[in-house]
Amino acid sequence: MASIQLSGLTKFYGKRRGVEDVSLEVGDQEFLTVFGPAGAGKTTTLNLIAGIVTPDRGSIRIGDKTVDALEPADRNVAMVFESYALYPQFTVYQNMAFPLRSPKHRLPAGEVEQRVRHFATMLRIDHLLDRQIQALSNGQRQRTALGRALVRRPDVFLMDEPLSHLDAKLRHSMRAELKEMRGQLGTTTIYVTHDYLEAMSLGDRVAVINQGRILQVGTPEEVYFRPATVEVAQLFGDPEINLIEAKIRSRQSTSVRVQALGEDWSFPITPEIGSALDKLPGDNVQLGFRPADVTVGVNGNASLHGVVYSFEPLGTKSVLTIDSVAGQRVRALVDGHRTFQVDRRIEFSVPSASLIFFNPESTRYLVRSTRTEGDH
Amino acid sequence: MFWGREPALSITEVWNAPMSTTLSSPRTPPSELPRGGSASKDSIAHARRRRFRPYLVLAPALILTIGIFIPFIAAICLSFTDYSLNSSDVSFIGFDNYLSMLQSSDFWHSLWITIEYAFLCTAVEMLLGVGVALLLNDENIVARFLRIVLIFPLMIAPVIGTLIWKLITNPSVGILVGPMRMIGLGDFKWAASPDSAMFSLVVVDAWVYTPFVIILVLAGLRSLPKSPYEAALIDGGSPWFVFKNLTLPMLAPVLLITLVFRLMLSLQEFSIIFALTEGGPGDATMSLSLQAYNRAFPFYGLAEAIPMMLFLWALVYFVSFILIGFWRRAQQRAAGVA
Amino acid sequence: MTHSRSPLAKIGKGLQILLLLAYAVFALFPLLWMFIMSIKPDSQMLTTTFIFTPTLENYATVLHSDYMQFFFNNLIVSVAAVLVSLVVGVPAAYALARFQFKGKEDIAFTILSFRFAPEILVILPLYLIYQRLGLYDTYFGLIWVYQLITLPLLIWILRGFFEDISPDIEAAAQLDGYAWWQVFLRVLLPLVKPGLVAAGLLCFIFAWNSFTFPLLLSNNVQTSTVIALRYLASDTVHYGQVAAAAAISALPEVILALLIQKHLVRGLSFGAVKG
Repeated sequence: MASIQLSGLTKFYGKRRGVEDVSLEVGDQEFLTVFGPAGAGKTTTLNLIAGIVTPDRGSIRIGDKTVDALEPADRNVAMVFESYALYPQFTVYQNMAFPLRSPKHRLPAGEVEQRVRHFATMLRIDHLLDRQIQALSNGQRQRTALGRALVRRPDVFLMDEPLSHLDAKLRHSMRAELKEMRGQLGTTTIYVTHDYLEAMSLGDRVAVINQGRILQVGTPEEVYFRPATVEVAQLFGDPEINLIEAKIRSRQSTSVRVQALGEDWSFPITPEIGSALDKLPGDNVQLGFRPADVTVGVNGNASLHGVVYSFEPLGTKSVLTIDSVAGQRVRALVDGHRTFQVDRRIEFSVPSASLIFFNPESTRYLVRSTRTEGDH
Repeated sequence: MFWGREPALSITEVWNAPMSTTLSSPRTPPSELPRGGSASKDSIAHARRRRFRPYLVLAPALILTIGIFIPFIAAICLSFTDYSLNSSDVSFIGFDNYLSMLQSSDFWHSLWITIEYAFLCTAVEMLLGVGVALLLNDENIVARFLRIVLIFPLMIAPVIGTLIWKLITNPSVGILVGPMRMIGLGDFKWAASPDSAMFSLVVVDAWVYTPFVIILVLAGLRSLPKSPYEAALIDGGSPWFVFKNLTLPMLAPVLLITLVFRLMLSLQEFSIIFALTEGGPGDATMSLSLQAYNRAFPFYGLAEAIPMMLFLWALVYFVSFILIGFWRRAQQRAAGVA
Repeated sequence: MTHSRSPLAKIGKGLQILLLLAYAVFALFPLLWMFIMSIKPDSQMLTTTFIFTPTLENYATVLHSDYMQFFFNNLIVSVAAVLVSLVVGVPAAYALARFQFKGKEDIAFTILSFRFAPEILVILPLYLIYQRLGLYDTYFGLIWVYQLITLPLLIWILRGFFEDISPDIEAAAQLDGYAWWQVFLRVLLPLVKPGLVAAGLLCFIFAWNSFTFPLLLSNNVQTSTVIALRYLASDTVHYGQVAAAAAISALPEVILALLIQKHLVRGLSFGAVKG
């Protein structure tokens, strides 16, 4: 059990940036998910912690030791690889036993057997122990890889997109199992994924990374509702968040009038929002709002106008894409019972109570409007 | 509910909480964190050790490689002397060896023979090899059997193969005597006559090395992707059209690499020629390698022989350089087609 | 691949098979003939072609002569050369496959280019050097020079096999507690074993077949390949024995060739073509 500290980690592969100036702290027994698109630097980060690659700059501490000079074998870190990296010439049992037989551990045969069987049973692969790796399905291989990491009881677990090669149904059930296992084992874990649902549901905290740099670290709620930058806001949520440029026309203490989406409209604000808006360099601001919060209505409350561009029924919900007056597209998530016709005029409104304000030049988070409890 | 998970704080508390920073959410005050950007002394030493590992592992091979360079350097040095195997004094004579080589008709004759031999062998083997490979890309009985046994001529030492052909064409006991007489070539002298010596050489070389072409081209044919052919089937197109515009471009890399190998090796072929004709009769098949051998060993003129070989090597290098360029481009094009 | 689209489709199945048979005759008949000659008694050599009373006396004579000594010389030198190449080449192949370092491709290409250097070019200076160093006409000298043939081949074939192994597996083994050289021995080598066998056998075949090097750099420590040719040059009567000698010399590689069928393509093309 150990905490992890990364400070200023930098690794370049020739000209290509792996990670740059990554600093992160993971508490003892914390489950941190690292989220980012492909090529963001997630695997590089894991490889640095594991010791598989050495950083150009920066330092890593696990527990109270600085591990920079330690070989991977000496760091007491276990990793589940995206490709599983199972030993092809061994059976399931031999794969799981391999770490315990290494010079580092050198456990007596009896204890090896005990541990392997214990975890094989926990992962429900105990009936496969004598099978060769080639004969396993993807899900079974994944569990074997997990088992190989678990038998060692390391200080730290590193998981590199362990669920990405499983079909959707299996992924769901494995996610639930992982959460339960987490509770039982209580080991510090860093879990890397490009699936934001996994990032949100599994992690105590989420670290958002892109192009080798950490964009934000926080709880799932923080990252979703108070994204540090426009980029972070765009990475979470499907359909993607709506982002619009707005020009502030006039402002009172409790409301503000803007020109956006080709129209003039106003919405209420709090003094807190007001003072945040004071800090803007000009009168432009970037507004973000989630598709689920857009109200599409024919009942007069709506204040903005547009034309239906596309309508995708997806079951309980449907995705509606609207061409606003100015031409910019707005996505809305509507109830599945409603239908819309393409090219029809439509009215919609932007939720004043769930707006995120961004500084348009720095793309950084400014402030957000709040809503009463009990909603959503 | 938030995706089935109970939030740790109430929603309003979250909204109103101070925003998490974009770097770390430090639980220790920044002054206590180790300074980012610096690395400990241990880790620097460790990183350096890791960087030298490849060289350590390569060391034995590198030593051997350097060991191999020594003869080359020695050869170059020797070529500037008049070193001879039957005299004890050596003196530096500059470029004399090179000049006399360029002026000797023997050299140009050998150069011509070398090029002729390499060209004929490669052409015959490529054409024959591709043809047989196409025939073998089939599932009939003969093809399946042949695929396994055609390797034999290649595996046998070229010299042994030459030996066998000498036995076959031997006027007294050779099996071909009868059939040749039947087709009116009863006087065909094979390797004994200057007119037919080159022909005999090419036959032997083709016998030994055509399997090489076949194996590589066949492997190339079998690894071609299916989908372009399925598309062509739908779009229509004669077999020859498909062959010319689909198969050949995709096969080009394999064909070129095979061509490179065969050309390079046949330019400097020695064993087969030595075993069959020793460069004769006369100098009808005196390739550069044979000429160099003759100068050096029976006639002791070691230093004279070297410039010829250096010339040959330069020729081989130059041709391979150009052809490898073609090969790379063909690979890129093939990747585009498929 | 379906062959209705082959350009040869027009010439009909029957003709295709005929052509194949023609080539098969061309390729295999000489070997068959060699075998036939080797079991033909001298008395019937000039008078008959296919009909004769087979005999093993040619083989008996050859096997009891000093030819076998040369056969074993060839065996010793070839096996030793392959072993040396394995010890030196396997780590080199691994380094070329895995590590990134300056001059990697240059070194790799240099090693490959040895294959294309004219044998005579190398032999001329080596002849002198060997005489000076006392390596002429020794086992050691031959084993050393055979590296020119076996080492590039081995390194290039094995490099491909190492490249095929995912680096994740090595990382996993390291994390499991094994030092990098232990990972190499216990995880990687078993995985490249088929490649090792194939490359080793192919190198053995090329070493065994080597003619120019033993011819010129050795005298009494001679290989069966060279001696077989000398038989033919010197002996114009006992063709049966010459054929027998050739057959004996060719036997090991025919057997080995059958064993490495699968990896032939990769081996022959130095890894340039993936079979």
